[in-house]
Amino acid sequence: MASRRRMLLKVIILGDSGVGKTSLMNQYVNRKFSNQYKATIGADFLTKEVQFEDRLFTLQIWDTAGQERFQSLGVAFYRGADCCVLVYDVNVMKSFDNLNHWREEFLIQASPSDPENFPFVVLGNKIDVDGGNSRVVSEKKAKAWCASKGNIPYFETSAKEGFNVEDAFQCIAKNALKNEPEEEMYLPDTIEVGGGGRQQRSTGCEC
Amino acid sequence: MLESEVHDLSDDADYAASQQQGSASMMLRSDSTKNSLREDAEIVFTKENVAIHPTQFASERISGRLKLIKQNSSLFLTWIPYKGNSSEARLSDDERNLYTIKAVSFTEIRSIRRHTPALAWPYIIVVLSSGLAYPPLYFYSGGVKEFLATIKQHVLLVRSEEDANVFLVNDFQNTLQRTLSSLELPRAVPIACGPSNLSVDESVLNENQGRADNDVNNGSFSAAQFHGRPSHKVDPARDLSIHVLEKFSLVTKFARETTSQLFRENHSNEFSDRRTHAQTNLDNHRRKSSHVEEKTSDESCVALDSQEFDNLSLVWGKPRQPPLGSGEWIIFLDSEGRVTDSEALRKRVFYGGLDHELRNEVWSLLLGYYPYESTYAEREFQKSVKKSEYENIKNQWQSISSAQAKRFTKFRERKGLIEKDVVRTDRSIPFYEGDDNPNVNILRDILLTYSFYNFDLGYCQGMSDLLSPILFVMDDESEAFWCFVALMERLGPNFNRDQNGMHSQLFALSKLTMPQHIPPTTIASLYDHGTSSTAVPFSANHFSDFNNHALEYLFAMTSPSTPVWPPHSLTSFFIASSADNASLVASDNSAVSFTTIIPCENLIGSANYIIWDAAVKLWFLVKAHINFFALCYFCIDSLKFVALLVELLDSPLHNYFKQRDCLNYFFCFRWILIQFKREFEYEKTMRLWEVLWTHYPSEHLHLYLCVAILNRYRGKIIREEMDFDTLLKFINELSGHIDLDANLRDAEALCICAGENGAACIPPGTPPSLPIDDGSFYALQDEIL
Repeated sequence: MASRRRMLLKVIILGDSGVGKTSLMNQYVNRKFSNQYKATIGADFLTKEVQFEDRLFTLQIWDTAGQERFQSLGVAFYRGADCCVLVYDVNVMKSFDNLNHWREEFLIQASPSDPENFPFVVLGNKIDVDGGNSRVVSEKKAKAWCASKGNIPYFETSAKEGFNVEDAFQCIAKNALKNEPEEEMYLPDTIEVGGGGRQQRSTGCEC
Repeated sequence: MLESEVHDLSDDADYAASQQQGSASMMLRSDSTKNSLREDAEIVFTKENVAIHPTQFASERISGRLKLIKQNSSLFLTWIPYKGNSSEARLSDDERNLYTIKAVSFTEIRSIRRHTPALAWPYIIVVLSSGLAYPPLYFYSGGVKEFLATIKQHVLLVRSEEDANVFLVNDFQNTLQRTLSSLELPRAVPIACGPSNLSVDESVLNENQGRADNDVNNGSFSAAQFHGRPSHKVDPARDLSIHVLEKFSLVTKFARETTSQLFRENHSNEFSDRRTHAQTNLDNHRRKSSHVEEKTSDESCVALDSQEFDNLSLVWGKPRQPPLGSGEWIIFLDSEGRVTDSEALRKRVFYGGLDHELRNEVWSLLLGYYPYESTYAEREFQKSVKKSEYENIKNQWQSISSAQAKRFTKFRERKGLIEKDVVRTDRSIPFYEGDDNPNVNILRDILLTYSFYNFDLGYCQGMSDLLSPILFVMDDESEAFWCFVALMERLGPNFNRDQNGMHSQLFALSKLTMPQHIPPTTIASLYDHGTSSTAVPFSANHFSDFNNHALEYLFAMTSPSTPVWPPHSLTSFFIASSADNASLVASDNSAVSFTTIIPCENLIGSANYIIWDAAVKLWFLVKAHINFFALCYFCIDSLKFVALLVELLDSPLHNYFKQRDCLNYFFCFRWILIQFKREFEYEKTMRLWEVLWTHYPSEHLHLYLCVAILNRYRGKIIREEMDFDTLLKFINELSGHIDLDANLRDAEALCICAGENGAACIPPGTPPSLPIDDGSFYALQDEIL
């Protein structure tokens, strides 16, 4: 393991203010939740080591400010991204409506070499709130949008309860890896990112 | 002693003694000194406690008696040091007598420059028509005005048109030229050279010794070499050029002013604070002694003299003071509550901040919500008027019914955004903690009201961070709102959609860290800082401009912090300029006897010099870099050390950032947007803000603070080859680990040293400067929440 070159996979989390970007990142990396995360100013990231069979990767997860007014910073933070995670709050319609905006903004600012096939993953967060009674965006609606954008993998999550977060990030890592230049890569047919069976609500990755 | 006491010279023991010891004097003899004053001489002015400072140590003063003596129609000036003053026991009689001014005739005096700093002892510099100048004479008992008035009664004394503090003696023509020459003193040679201070404070030596060992494990360092420099007889043939001397005097002056200012401003806390401070300084020194990139001056060590406050941590950022307390605060107010001297108040707050209990009252003034000249009554009146105005604006959104809100998307979204943020703003602070905390609701109400007050700007993340301490301090909804409004007047552009305010600051930051040579004006402004004296021009006669800067800088750096610097032992300088690619430039009297210069452009950046002074076996490392000032001096035997020294030093941060494509400085974004709110604990943030709000010495001190912090970690950043990501992470994680006071001092020093060049890096209107108001600043924004 150690003999192989460790690779960095850069993931950007985008979405409206308050949808839970920081919480998702912290839940995945530190397995912790706090309802006192401050609003992110500028950007920050956490890293986590992930292992695919005999290879180690460093997943670098970027958490950005949610208010669109800060987007002019994006160009510095988005560059070199291997995967973009779009997050919305299933209880806030506007945050879902804005997904398209975030996606386009990312493609403009990061200007990936192959925008058509750049890997996105969509997360519908806060499914725990009020036992799901306050939810305004249906899973069906979300999946339909993801399908229309080139079959973006979709997960419903609760950062607070840790629900589906691990699975979502496995998929995110896997997609980030796919984005890497192929000559560097040995791509196994199956990838095991870590423990934990796939959750029911996940639509999973198609890879 | 009586000031106007008339002496018969024959009874004047000091005078007699000086006559006897005249042969030991290093004074350049002028003709008049050969005249012996006859017994009919009349003393028309006497001033006790007029002192010369041969070194920067306040305790190293030589006190004496200044006299004006009239004989026939001629006026003479004398200054005779007292004998055997106990507080000056360190100085030998010989040294004391070096400075004696024996009956110089006013026909030989060209001008007298007067310096009356607001917070320090006044002094004069007497310049002779030959271009020579005496060291500054400090009037510890005042009396400069009477001194000048007395002269005026006897000789023609004209105030210079160019400089109101220069008085020309017997100047009948060409005032301008005389003034200039009196200022610049070309060709001149000194009358007196200061003896080196042989009694260097032990702590200084020990500290340096410790550091040297620490850094180098080189047994060749020897404190004895600092100590053991022979007491010298001065050879008049080895005169220094006058501008060197004058600079030396000025540095001493600067030290004097700084220390005296500290002395005065700290009077209420007196000795314990001084000790504490001195200790802190030493601690700082020890803590940082393994750091290569430390600024020697930063910890210019302390002569902890029980008689005098000798702290010399002066040039590069003055020591922080205790916060302004209510007892002292009263002094700034007249009986009706007006701030009589807002400049003095701002300065005081800048150096010490405020006691928490005073913040409520002073913040609203600092922020400009209440004018400094307002009375208690006027403030009370404004408070009530503004309260109803606030309620009116608040009512605008409060009266929106839920049915209305349904059709008012922008309002709903804005409100939602604010509500999301206030519940995650400083909830660990007792003032905001707990469920259903009413202060959280007030935070929300103020922000929502503000978004109606300034609908174009609206709400933006970060605003809740800025408001939180203000509400905590003001503890009144309307007052907090208006203070916030005043703050946003200045910071609003940071939150603009196009982020122009932020970009201009980040850009300015990139320019501020750019390597630059220190121009003469900078040096002048350095000396000028905090004093009421005018800027001192520096002549550039002997060296190319470039090298002259370095030379001036060398002196600026060495004199205050290194008492061993021996200006009289240098016959010339070689300055190697990295700009000329290691060409050697000699001074015009190129009697080169000792100097080796090693330019180290590639290793430690541009404009760096290592100067070997063989006479005293000292290496002087001079860094002339706007971003970084250091003078390291070492006693060494071998050139081997240079390699080591160079290895220990880093190349400039700017070049590194450039190379790493980090010049957007986005890693400083959070620092600037919310004014370091997330970097310090709550109390420290409040301290920092009140310091920044004084806009003293610059509106943009926060940018210099950025540079200071970056500078502090430069070695680590470069050593660890941080790329943009790592750098951002590193800087985010500095949160909670930044030493506020130390960095404020560095920031102040950087700001002073950058001078106009620094200011020129910052475009007009850059926050927190008030925006250049065209009335449409926010109007172009759309889609904002």
